[in-house]
Amino acid sequence: MNVLAPQLTEKMALTLAASLLAAAVLLAPVAAAQAPNASGSSQNISASSHDRWLHVRVTKPGNSEETVRVNVPLELAEKVLPTINRNRLHSGKVRFDDVDCHGVDLHALVDAVRSSKDGEFVTVQSKDSDVRVAKQNGYLFVHVFEKNRPKKSQVEVKVPMKVVDALFSAGKDELDLVAALHALSSQGDTELVSVKDEENTVRVWLDSKNVTDSLPSHP
Amino acid sequence: MLLAKLALGFCGTVAVAGAYTFHEGIMRVEEDHYDGRHVHVWVPAAIVPMALHFVPSRHLERALEHAGPWLPTLRALTKELKKYPEAELVEVEDANQHVRIRAHQGKLLIDVTEPGETVHVACPLVMIEDLARELEARSPAA
Repeated sequence: MNVLAPQLTEKMALTLAASLLAAAVLLAPVAAAQAPNASGSSQNISASSHDRWLHVRVTKPGNSEETVRVNVPLELAEKVLPTINRNRLHSGKVRFDDVDCHGVDLHALVDAVRSSKDGEFVTVQSKDSDVRVAKQNGYLFVHVFEKNRPKKSQVEVKVPMKVVDALFSAGKDELDLVAALHALSSQGDTELVSVKDEENTVRVWLDSKNVTDSLPSHP
Repeated sequence: MLLAKLALGFCGTVAVAGAYTFHEGIMRVEEDHYDGRHVHVWVPAAIVPMALHFVPSRHLERALEHAGPWLPTLRALTKELKKYPEAELVEVEDANQHVRIRAHQGKLLIDVTEPGETVHVACPLVMIEDLARELEARSPAA
Protein backbone atom coordinates (compact mmCIF):
# COMPACT_ATOMS: atom_id res chain seq x y z
CA MET A 1 0.00 0.00 0.00
CA ASN A 2 2.79 2.34 0.97
CA VAL A 3 4.58 1.58 -2.31
CA LEU A 4 1.47 1.89 -4.49
CA ALA A 5 0.21 5.18 -3.06
CA PRO A 6 3.04 7.41 -4.35
CA GLN A 7 2.81 5.77 -7.81
CA LEU A 8 -0.93 6.33 -7.92
CA THR A 9 -0.49 9.93 -6.80
CA GLU A 10 2.20 10.44 -9.42
CA LYS A 11 -0.03 9.03 -12.18
CA MET A 12 -2.95 11.14 -11.03
CA ALA A 13 -0.80 14.25 -10.92
CA LEU A 14 0.56 13.57 -14.38
CA THR A 15 -2.90 12.91 -15.78
CA LEU A 16 -4.20 16.09 -14.16
CA ALA A 17 -1.29 18.14 -15.48
CA ALA A 18 -1.65 16.72 -18.98
CA SER A 19 -5.39 17.38 -18.94
CA LEU A 20 -4.82 20.94 -17.77
CA LEU A 21 -2.27 21.51 -20.50
CA ALA A 22 -4.47 20.03 -23.20
CA ALA A 23 -7.49 21.96 -21.99
CA ALA A 24 -5.57 25.23 -21.83
CA VAL A 25 -4.06 24.87 -25.28
CA LEU A 26 -7.26 23.67 -26.91
CA LEU A 27 -9.69 25.96 -25.19
CA ALA A 28 -7.73 29.21 -25.07
CA PRO A 29 -8.28 30.14 -28.75
CA VAL A 30 -11.90 29.04 -28.52
CA ALA A 31 -12.36 31.15 -25.40
CA ALA A 32 -10.67 34.07 -27.09
CA ALA A 33 -12.96 33.70 -30.08
CA GLN A 34 -16.03 33.35 -27.91
CA ALA A 35 -15.25 36.22 -25.55
CA PRO A 36 -15.90 39.08 -27.96
CA ASN A 37 -18.87 37.21 -29.33
CA ALA A 38 -20.37 36.77 -25.91
CA SER A 39 -19.83 40.39 -24.99
CA GLY A 40 -20.88 41.44 -28.43
CA SER A 41 -24.14 39.51 -28.40
CA SER A 42 -25.77 41.93 -26.00
CA GLN A 43 -24.31 44.79 -28.00
CA ASN A 44 -25.63 43.18 -31.14
CA ILE A 45 -29.11 43.24 -29.71
CA SER A 46 -28.73 46.91 -28.94
CA ALA A 47 -27.11 47.37 -32.34
CA SER A 48 -30.09 45.87 -34.10
CA SER A 49 -32.52 48.11 -32.26
CA HIS A 50 -30.57 51.37 -32.11
CA ASP A 51 -27.72 51.34 -34.59
CA ARG A 52 -28.01 53.13 -37.83
CA TRP A 53 -25.89 52.20 -40.81
CA LEU A 54 -24.78 54.44 -43.61
CA HIS A 55 -24.51 52.55 -46.88
CA VAL A 56 -22.75 53.58 -50.06
CA ARG A 57 -23.09 51.63 -53.27
CA VAL A 58 -21.29 52.48 -56.49
CA THR A 59 -22.18 50.44 -59.54
CA LYS A 60 -20.49 50.66 -62.89
CA PRO A 61 -22.41 48.58 -65.39
CA GLY A 62 -20.65 47.18 -68.41
CA ASN A 63 -18.75 44.17 -69.58
CA SER A 64 -16.95 43.81 -66.26
CA GLU A 65 -19.60 45.15 -63.95
CA GLU A 66 -17.94 46.78 -60.97
CA THR A 67 -19.64 47.23 -57.66
CA VAL A 68 -18.35 48.90 -54.52
CA ARG A 69 -20.32 48.54 -51.32
CA VAL A 70 -19.43 50.33 -48.11
CA ASN A 71 -21.39 49.94 -44.88
CA VAL A 72 -20.50 52.13 -41.91
CA PRO A 73 -22.24 52.22 -38.53
CA LEU A 74 -23.07 55.87 -37.78
CA GLU A 75 -21.97 55.48 -34.17
CA LEU A 76 -18.58 54.24 -35.33
CA ALA A 77 -18.23 57.16 -37.72
CA GLU A 78 -19.18 59.55 -34.91
CA LYS A 79 -16.43 58.17 -32.68
CA VAL A 80 -13.73 57.79 -35.32
CA LEU A 81 -14.17 61.06 -37.21
CA PRO A 82 -12.95 63.32 -34.34
CA THR A 83 -9.68 61.38 -34.22
CA ILE A 84 -8.78 62.42 -37.78
CA ASN A 85 -6.89 65.69 -37.85
CA ARG A 86 -5.71 66.15 -41.35
CA ASN A 87 -5.89 69.02 -43.81
CA ARG A 88 -9.21 70.78 -43.28
CA LEU A 89 -10.69 68.11 -41.04
CA HIS A 90 -10.20 68.74 -37.34
CA SER A 91 -12.11 67.30 -34.37
CA GLY A 92 -14.98 66.16 -36.54
CA LYS A 93 -15.36 69.55 -38.22
CA VAL A 94 -14.34 70.56 -41.68
CA ARG A 95 -13.22 74.10 -42.50
CA PHE A 96 -14.23 75.84 -45.67
CA ASP A 97 -13.65 79.32 -47.02
CA ASP A 98 -15.20 81.75 -49.47
CA VAL A 99 -13.28 80.23 -52.35
CA ASP A 100 -15.02 76.88 -51.81
CA CYS A 101 -18.42 78.54 -51.89
CA HIS A 102 -17.74 80.92 -54.78
CA GLY A 103 -18.59 83.84 -52.54
CA VAL A 104 -21.93 82.43 -51.40
CA ASP A 105 -22.70 82.90 -47.70
CA LEU A 106 -23.80 79.39 -46.87
CA HIS A 107 -25.04 80.26 -43.38
CA ALA A 108 -27.28 83.00 -44.76
CA LEU A 109 -28.52 80.60 -47.42
CA VAL A 110 -29.38 77.94 -44.85
CA ASP A 111 -31.09 80.54 -42.66
CA ALA A 112 -33.15 81.60 -45.65
CA VAL A 113 -34.07 78.00 -46.44
CA ARG A 114 -34.95 77.30 -42.82
CA SER A 115 -37.27 80.26 -42.52
CA SER A 116 -39.00 79.73 -45.85
CA LYS A 117 -42.20 77.78 -46.33
CA ASP A 118 -42.37 74.30 -47.80
CA GLY A 119 -42.25 74.08 -51.55
CA GLU A 120 -40.02 74.79 -54.43
CA PHE A 121 -38.03 77.96 -53.91
CA VAL A 122 -34.95 77.81 -56.09
CA THR A 123 -34.97 76.61 -59.66
CA VAL A 124 -32.18 77.40 -62.04
CA GLN A 125 -32.59 76.25 -65.61
CA SER A 126 -29.85 76.73 -68.13
CA LYS A 127 -28.58 75.19 -71.32
CA ASP A 128 -26.21 72.96 -69.38
CA SER A 129 -28.12 72.04 -66.27
CA ASP A 130 -31.26 72.30 -64.20
CA VAL A 131 -30.86 72.87 -60.47
CA ARG A 132 -33.79 72.64 -58.14
CA VAL A 133 -33.61 73.18 -54.40
CA ALA A 134 -36.67 72.67 -52.27
CA LYS A 135 -37.70 72.15 -48.67
CA GLN A 136 -40.53 69.77 -47.99
CA ASN A 137 -41.75 67.90 -44.90
CA GLY A 138 -38.58 68.71 -42.97
CA TYR A 139 -36.26 67.62 -45.76
CA LEU A 140 -33.99 69.63 -48.02
CA PHE A 141 -34.08 68.39 -51.60
CA VAL A 142 -31.43 69.24 -54.16
CA HIS A 143 -31.88 68.02 -57.69
CA VAL A 144 -29.23 68.64 -60.34
CA PHE A 145 -29.70 67.45 -63.90
CA GLU A 146 -26.81 68.07 -66.26
CA LYS A 147 -28.03 68.02 -69.82
CA ASN A 148 -25.17 68.86 -72.12
CA ARG A 149 -22.35 66.87 -70.70
CA PRO A 150 -20.99 64.09 -72.85
CA LYS A 151 -22.50 61.80 -70.28
CA LYS A 152 -25.75 63.05 -68.85
CA SER A 153 -25.91 62.96 -65.09
CA GLN A 154 -28.57 63.32 -62.50
CA VAL A 155 -27.90 64.09 -58.86
CA GLU A 156 -30.55 63.91 -56.17
CA VAL A 157 -29.85 64.79 -52.56
CA LYS A 158 -32.37 64.48 -49.76
CA VAL A 159 -31.19 65.63 -46.35
CA PRO A 160 -33.31 66.10 -43.21
CA MET A 161 -33.34 69.78 -42.16
CA LYS A 162 -32.26 68.69 -38.66
CA VAL A 163 -29.10 67.31 -40.21
CA VAL A 164 -28.53 70.49 -42.20
CA ASP A 165 -28.96 72.56 -39.02
CA ALA A 166 -26.51 70.31 -37.16
CA LEU A 167 -24.06 70.54 -40.03
CA PHE A 168 -24.01 74.33 -39.84
CA SER A 169 -24.05 74.49 -36.03
CA ALA A 170 -20.26 74.71 -35.64
CA GLY A 171 -19.48 78.25 -36.65
CA LYS A 172 -19.07 80.59 -39.55
CA ASP A 173 -16.48 78.73 -41.59
CA GLU A 174 -16.98 75.19 -40.39
CA LEU A 175 -19.24 72.24 -40.96
CA ASP A 176 -19.82 70.01 -37.96
CA LEU A 177 -19.78 66.51 -39.44
CA VAL A 178 -20.08 64.72 -36.11
CA ALA A 179 -23.15 66.73 -35.12
CA ALA A 180 -24.65 65.98 -38.54
CA LEU A 181 -23.99 62.25 -38.12
CA HIS A 182 -25.54 62.38 -34.66
CA ALA A 183 -28.63 64.10 -36.06
CA LEU A 184 -28.74 61.57 -38.88
CA SER A 185 -28.77 58.68 -36.41
CA SER A 186 -32.21 59.71 -35.16
CA GLN A 187 -33.69 59.54 -38.67
CA GLY A 188 -35.63 56.65 -40.15
CA ASP A 189 -34.62 54.64 -43.19
CA THR A 190 -34.01 57.05 -46.02
CA GLU A 191 -32.11 57.49 -49.23
CA LEU A 192 -29.78 60.48 -48.97
CA VAL A 193 -27.92 60.75 -52.24
CA SER A 194 -28.47 59.31 -55.66
CA VAL A 195 -26.18 60.03 -58.60
CA LYS A 196 -26.79 58.52 -62.00
CA ASP A 197 -24.88 59.00 -65.18
CA GLU A 198 -24.15 56.80 -68.14
CA GLU A 199 -21.13 55.24 -66.45
CA ASN A 200 -21.91 55.04 -62.75
CA THR A 201 -24.72 54.84 -60.29
CA VAL A 202 -24.00 56.03 -56.77
CA ARG A 203 -26.40 55.66 -53.90
CA VAL A 204 -26.03 56.65 -50.27
CA TRP A 205 -28.71 55.64 -47.83
CA LEU A 206 -29.43 55.05 -44.18
CA ASP A 207 -31.06 52.07 -42.48
CA SER A 208 -30.57 49.67 -39.59
CA LYS A 209 -29.16 46.72 -41.56
CA ASN A 210 -25.50 45.81 -41.39
CA VAL A 211 -25.38 44.51 -44.94
CA THR A 212 -26.06 46.01 -48.35
CA ASP A 213 -28.84 43.71 -49.39
CA SER A 214 -31.45 46.21 -50.45
CA LEU A 215 -32.08 49.86 -51.08
CA PRO A 216 -34.94 51.82 -49.61
CA SER A 217 -37.63 52.77 -52.04
CA HIS A 218 -36.76 55.80 -54.07
CA PRO A 219 -38.30 59.02 -52.70
CA MET B 1 6.51 11.99 -5.96
CA LEU B 2 9.11 14.61 -6.78
CA LEU B 3 8.74 13.79 -10.46
CA ALA B 4 5.01 14.28 -10.24
CA LYS B 5 5.46 17.66 -8.57
CA LEU B 6 7.96 18.71 -11.20
CA ALA B 7 5.65 17.53 -14.00
CA LEU B 8 2.73 19.35 -12.44
CA GLY B 9 4.76 22.53 -12.03
CA PHE B 10 6.09 22.36 -15.58
CA CYS B 11 2.74 21.56 -17.13
CA GLY B 12 1.04 24.22 -15.05
CA THR B 13 3.54 26.80 -16.24
CA VAL B 14 3.16 25.69 -19.84
CA ALA B 15 -0.62 25.73 -19.49
CA VAL B 16 -0.64 29.27 -18.07
CA ALA B 17 1.84 30.46 -20.68
CA GLY B 18 -0.19 28.77 -23.43
CA ALA B 19 -3.43 30.25 -22.18
CA TYR B 20 -1.85 33.73 -22.02
CA THR B 21 -0.28 33.38 -25.45
CA PHE B 22 -3.53 32.41 -27.10
CA HIS B 23 -5.94 34.54 -25.03
CA GLU B 24 -6.17 37.16 -27.77
CA GLY B 25 -6.64 34.60 -30.53
CA ILE B 26 -4.55 34.03 -33.61
CA MET B 27 -3.52 36.29 -36.44
CA ARG B 28 -3.75 34.35 -39.66
CA VAL B 29 -2.34 35.20 -43.09
CA GLU B 30 -2.95 32.77 -45.92
CA GLU B 31 -1.81 33.34 -49.47
CA ASP B 32 -2.55 30.72 -52.09
CA HIS B 33 -1.27 30.90 -55.64
CA TYR B 34 -2.78 28.65 -58.26
CA ASP B 35 0.72 27.63 -59.37
CA GLY B 36 0.96 25.71 -56.12
CA ARG B 37 2.74 28.21 -53.90
CA HIS B 38 1.18 28.65 -50.50
CA VAL B 39 2.13 30.94 -47.65
CA HIS B 40 0.31 30.26 -44.42
CA VAL B 41 1.31 32.17 -41.29
CA TRP B 42 -0.40 31.69 -37.97
CA VAL B 43 0.81 33.87 -35.10
CA PRO B 44 -0.61 34.17 -31.59
CA ALA B 45 -2.03 37.70 -31.48
CA ALA B 46 -0.59 38.45 -28.04
CA ILE B 47 2.93 38.04 -29.39
CA VAL B 48 2.66 40.71 -32.10
CA PRO B 49 2.68 43.82 -29.83
CA MET B 50 5.47 42.21 -27.80
CA ALA B 51 7.52 41.65 -30.95
CA LEU B 52 7.56 45.41 -31.47
CA HIS B 53 10.15 45.67 -28.72
CA PHE B 54 12.59 43.80 -30.94
CA VAL B 55 12.16 46.07 -33.95
CA PRO B 56 15.18 48.40 -34.32
CA SER B 57 14.14 51.87 -33.24
CA ARG B 58 15.37 53.55 -36.46
CA HIS B 59 12.96 51.42 -38.51
CA LEU B 60 10.14 52.05 -36.07
CA GLU B 61 10.72 55.81 -36.04
CA ARG B 62 10.54 55.95 -39.82
CA ALA B 63 7.30 53.98 -39.81
CA LEU B 64 5.85 56.12 -37.05
CA GLU B 65 6.52 59.30 -39.00
CA HIS B 66 3.96 58.14 -41.54
CA ALA B 67 1.62 56.10 -39.39
CA GLY B 68 1.74 58.27 -36.24
CA PRO B 69 -1.13 60.64 -37.08
CA TRP B 70 -3.38 57.71 -37.92
CA LEU B 71 -2.77 55.65 -34.77
CA PRO B 72 -5.51 57.32 -32.67
CA THR B 73 -7.89 56.70 -35.58
CA LEU B 74 -6.84 53.06 -35.81
CA ARG B 75 -7.29 52.61 -32.06
CA ALA B 76 -10.73 54.26 -32.08
CA LEU B 77 -11.76 52.25 -35.13
CA THR B 78 -10.82 48.89 -33.63
CA LYS B 79 -12.36 49.81 -30.29
CA GLU B 80 -15.66 50.66 -32.00
CA LEU B 81 -15.55 47.71 -34.38
CA LYS B 82 -15.51 45.35 -31.40
CA LYS B 83 -19.12 46.39 -30.81
CA TYR B 84 -20.13 44.86 -34.13
CA PRO B 85 -19.60 41.08 -34.11
CA GLU B 86 -20.84 40.78 -37.69
CA ALA B 87 -20.37 43.61 -40.15
CA GLU B 88 -19.72 43.73 -43.87
CA LEU B 89 -17.68 46.92 -44.12
CA VAL B 90 -16.35 47.06 -47.65
CA GLU B 91 -16.92 44.91 -50.69
CA VAL B 92 -15.44 45.57 -54.12
CA GLU B 93 -16.36 43.27 -56.94
CA ASP B 94 -15.72 43.16 -60.65
CA ALA B 95 -15.48 40.44 -63.25
CA ASN B 96 -12.07 39.28 -61.99
CA GLN B 97 -11.55 40.50 -58.48
CA HIS B 98 -13.41 40.29 -55.24
CA VAL B 99 -12.28 42.14 -52.12
CA ARG B 100 -14.11 41.90 -48.82
CA ILE B 101 -13.32 43.62 -45.54
CA ARG B 102 -15.52 42.62 -42.64
CA ALA B 103 -15.67 42.21 -38.91
CA HIS B 104 -16.47 38.73 -37.68
CA GLN B 105 -16.51 37.65 -34.03
CA GLY B 106 -13.87 40.10 -32.85
CA LYS B 107 -11.66 39.74 -35.90
CA LEU B 108 -11.05 41.90 -38.92
CA LEU B 109 -11.14 39.71 -42.00
CA ILE B 110 -9.71 40.74 -45.35
CA ASP B 111 -10.33 38.43 -48.29
CA VAL B 112 -8.96 39.07 -51.76
CA THR B 113 -9.75 36.75 -54.63
CA GLU B 114 -8.37 37.27 -58.10
CA PRO B 115 -7.39 35.00 -60.95
CA GLY B 116 -4.39 32.98 -59.84
CA GLU B 117 -4.28 34.17 -56.27
CA THR B 118 -6.28 34.33 -53.07
CA VAL B 119 -5.29 36.13 -49.90
CA HIS B 120 -7.05 35.79 -46.55
CA VAL B 121 -6.03 37.80 -43.52
CA ALA B 122 -7.65 37.50 -40.10
CA CYS B 123 -6.53 39.90 -37.36
CA PRO B 124 -8.05 39.93 -33.89
CA LEU B 125 -9.29 43.48 -33.24
CA VAL B 126 -7.79 43.34 -29.75
CA MET B 127 -4.40 42.81 -31.33
CA ILE B 128 -4.76 45.80 -33.64
CA GLU B 129 -5.88 47.96 -30.72
CA ASP B 130 -2.93 46.80 -28.59
CA LEU B 131 -0.57 47.36 -31.49
CA ALA B 132 -1.87 50.89 -32.07
CA ARG B 133 -1.59 51.66 -28.35
CA GLU B 134 1.95 50.29 -28.22
CA LEU B 135 3.00 52.27 -31.29
CA GLU B 136 1.40 55.43 -29.92
CA ALA B 137 3.36 55.00 -26.72
CA ARG B 138 6.57 54.71 -28.72
CA SER B 139 5.87 57.57 -31.11
CA PRO B 140 8.00 60.72 -30.57
CA ALA B 141 4.89 62.83 -29.89
CA ALA B 142 3.93 60.63 -26.91
